[in-house]
Amino acid sequence: MDYFSAFAISASGMSVEKMRLDVTALNLANVHSTRGASGQLYQPLTVISTAKPGAFAAAMTQAGNASLGAQVTEVRATLTPPRLTYEPSHPDADAKGFVAYPAINPVNEMITMMTATRAYEANVAALNAARVMAMKALDIGGN
Amino acid sequence: MSGHEVTKALLLKALDAATLRHQAIASNIANANSVNYRPLRVNFEEQLGFARQALAQPGGTLTAADVAGVRARLEQEPAPRAGTAAVMIDMEMVKLSQNTLQYQALLKGVSHHGSLVTTAINEGRK
Amino acid sequence: MNVDPVGFLPPLTEVAGLQAADAGNNVGTSDFASWLAKEIGSVNDKITGSDQLLQKLATGQVDNLHQVMIALDEAKMSFQMLVQVRNKLLEAYQDVIRMSV
Repeated sequence: MDYFSAFAISASGMSVEKMRLDVTALNLANVHSTRGASGQLYQPLTVISTAKPGAFAAAMTQAGNASLGAQVTEVRATLTPPRLTYEPSHPDADAKGFVAYPAINPVNEMITMMTATRAYEANVAALNAARVMAMKALDIGGN
Repeated sequence: MSGHEVTKALLLKALDAATLRHQAIASNIANANSVNYRPLRVNFEEQLGFARQALAQPGGTLTAADVAGVRARLEQEPAPRAGTAAVMIDMEMVKLSQNTLQYQALLKGVSHHGSLVTTAINEGRK
Repeated sequence: MNVDPVGFLPPLTEVAGLQAADAGNNVGTSDFASWLAKEIGSVNDKITGSDQLLQKLATGQVDNLHQVMIALDEAKMSFQMLVQVRNKLLEAYQDVIRMSV
């Protein structure tokens, strides 16, 4: 596997984790949003990421530009029932005086953020390791 | 041009391309927060499309004609969609790493390539 | 009556085997020139092979960076070896020429 594709794999992992972090930040920012852009309640989003559709066995044995890595397949709105609080004076209160807030659990979001950050750092470490290996390969044959 | 000179000319052009690419990446990083900035990229490897196919076969080499018209040039990427960032700094850093590695590999290649002629000139004496 | 053509005879493999064995045993001086030519040819092949790998590096389609570096190093070493062989041969020749008759 050449170093171009090693870099591309780590780069794809980094962009997936960055997207996850962005979505988490968006969810946390909208903890108290009662309405989304379309007028409906804001639904918390999750990132579904899968491996890129490269044939692993074939890519490992033959050299060349194998498209491996991770990709974001979907940013999906979770269909969790909203959190209802009793605020009759709120402009968005329904007939009974309840306001529907999105069911975002800040603890879950913080955990997702931490794992995304660590995964991002791990991808950067993998990229640096690939770079160091390639630089050492340049030393073959003396100076 | 002999095969030796073709390789030397191609290596020098690739070094030019790597230098230009570094400037493009540096400009992208510097303009990460600029309004209406269109990222720059370098067009070089794409010009060698046919040549790469010739090289892919065993024993294939490039000719002077393949290499003659190739020149690295800067291009602007299309303007980003409204609301999205034009420059992703971490991707630019990855490209920077990769480009630096390519530049150093090419430099090593040039020096090894020239050392053959040096050996012939020195007749093996150090 | 069926007259088979001469082509049905099996090829004379035993004779070919004898010739191969004879060629292997023959390390006389008359073969040194062809051996040297073969070695020069193989060094040339290594150099052109490393040239091709360098062109692949320049066009951005290396499979293995270390493969390129190893091939470059091998080509350089075999060329240096060839130059040393040539130097030694010249030295021996000059020694022989300087011999007083």
